[in-house]
Amino acid sequence: MPEYMSEYKVWFGKIYEKDSEFEVRKCDDLVQSFEESKSEKLGKLPFSLKEVGIRVFKSEEDYYFSLRRTAIQVAEKEVEKELKGSERYLISLLKALDEIDLGINLFSEKIRDLEEIKIDENTENFRRIVRDLKKLRRDIEDEINSQIAKLMPNMSEIVGGIIAARLIEKAGSLKKLSSLPASTIQILGAEKSLFKAMSRMKKGKKAKTPKHGIIFQHPFIRTLPKSLRGKMARFLASKLAIAARIDYYSGELKEELFESVKRKYEELRETSKTSKTSKAKSRK
Amino acid sequence: MDVEILKQITHNVFLVKYENREFLVTKSRFKPHYGERKFSDFREWIPYRSKLAAMILNGYTIDFRPEIKMLYLGAASGTTVSHLSDIVERGYIYAVEYSARPFKKFLELALERRNIIPLLKDASKPEEYAGIVEKVDFIYQDIAQKNQNEIFAKNAEFFLKNGGEGLIMVKARSIDSVAEPSGVFNRVLSELEENFSILKHGKLDPFHRDHIFVHVKF
Ligand SMILES: C[S@@+](CC[C@H](N)C(=O)[O-])C[C@H]1O[C@@H](n2cnc3c(N)ncnc32)[C@H](O)[C@@H]1O
Repeated sequence: MPEYMSEYKVWFGKIYEKDSEFEVRKCDDLVQSFEESKSEKLGKLPFSLKEVGIRVFKSEEDYYFSLRRTAIQVAEKEVEKELKGSERYLISLLKALDEIDLGINLFSEKIRDLEEIKIDENTENFRRIVRDLKKLRRDIEDEINSQIAKLMPNMSEIVGGIIAARLIEKAGSLKKLSSLPASTIQILGAEKSLFKAMSRMKKGKKAKTPKHGIIFQHPFIRTLPKSLRGKMARFLASKLAIAARIDYYSGELKEELFESVKRKYEELRETSKTSKTSKAKSRK
Repeated sequence: MDVEILKQITHNVFLVKYENREFLVTKSRFKPHYGERKFSDFREWIPYRSKLAAMILNGYTIDFRPEIKMLYLGAASGTTVSHLSDIVERGYIYAVEYSARPFKKFLELALERRNIIPLLKDASKPEEYAGIVEKVDFIYQDIAQKNQNEIFAKNAEFFLKNGGEGLIMVKARSIDSVAEPSGVFNRVLSELEENFSILKHGKLDPFHRDHIFVHVKF
């Protein structure tokens, strides 16, 4: 067996380099070599892919014919796999995020308790774990945001990755979400806060029963005065219902959707400002 | 009713008159792909759907030769690629898209066109398709990402021939959602100037608001 300097996995097989000569070994199963070429961390190739390829495919025409046919076969396989797996992955990430939050809260509480008595190696280690968890939390959040941009470009453009992901989680799937009316989307996730409110009441504390779903976390709603939030939420939910359908059926971004939401928000914010100033004036 | 050719713009790209209206079209023997009209040998090229059509209608044209090799980043369901495929008749388009849903529709297009090589890949990781894509004459990028300049530079480094050219569609909001678009565009242009020479840039209004195109040379 001769000794090679380096080996490159490309879509049609392997290329071995020795003394700046390139030797090609074509793979019999092009789908397999095509898929494997991706997993390999290739740098810039020191040879022309097509020139080396033509040596084994005989003609340029054959090279492109095989390349295109293989690319399509692989793509068809991957699309199906992606469409099946990506929502499940997203929902598991979201669950992980919630569990990490629980962990962070729990540990932070423990640290406070301990540190009131004594600061030592143990509390130090506890603090390190919390720092690591916070880092993990950021990484997972980034991954959710980048996954969701692929899966639901319109929903995530309108409400951001995390809220969009929570809506999917609540609905069960993008397919289900895309079949929900706007009025349901508006209160999706409200059950949980209802539950919280009830348990507060049981403890004898005051609590308002919430009528607000997940979308109320959005700054476009939170930053408006209370009297206008309902209006904004209804508008947002109606656009989200459309966005979910487009995301499910075509997956293409429609710029107008976000723009109309933003316009509505600015309009409402303006009315709230002018009504404030007119109130102030009338008080004089 | 006949189609009247008003002007040839570049290879297989025309301005025509049909039913008393003017249309930008590409000469095509294929059926419509995204709801555009087809009259005789021409497919309507809708500027509201394709930023490249908007650029051409705003008066700037790039003369794509019919035999070039191109890398297209952000193919989506193939609206613009379908017209480029009409233009680059004898060349090849390596088309990268990372989102599966629009890609499914794009595959229908790839199946009927002999010059499209579809790749379900992340454009920010060119090393994952370096064993597939050859050196190209042109890179087209429309991915609406915050780090799009970095992605473009990386792909140019891997795949663009010396003296090759590129076209980047920039959406202000995807880079900075609150800043004034003109400021964002200036920043993007000066960043691109570090690695490329800028041949031309311009707005895509009224078809795509707060977007610009940037035509560069490597
Ligand atoms: C504005 S659309 C492109 C429209 C298309 N160029 C046309 O005119 O027909 C942007 C596309 O880029 C894709 N995209 C964004 N980031 C990407 C990445 N890192 N890799 C591959 N595709 C990406 C999105 O999924 C989306 O489909």
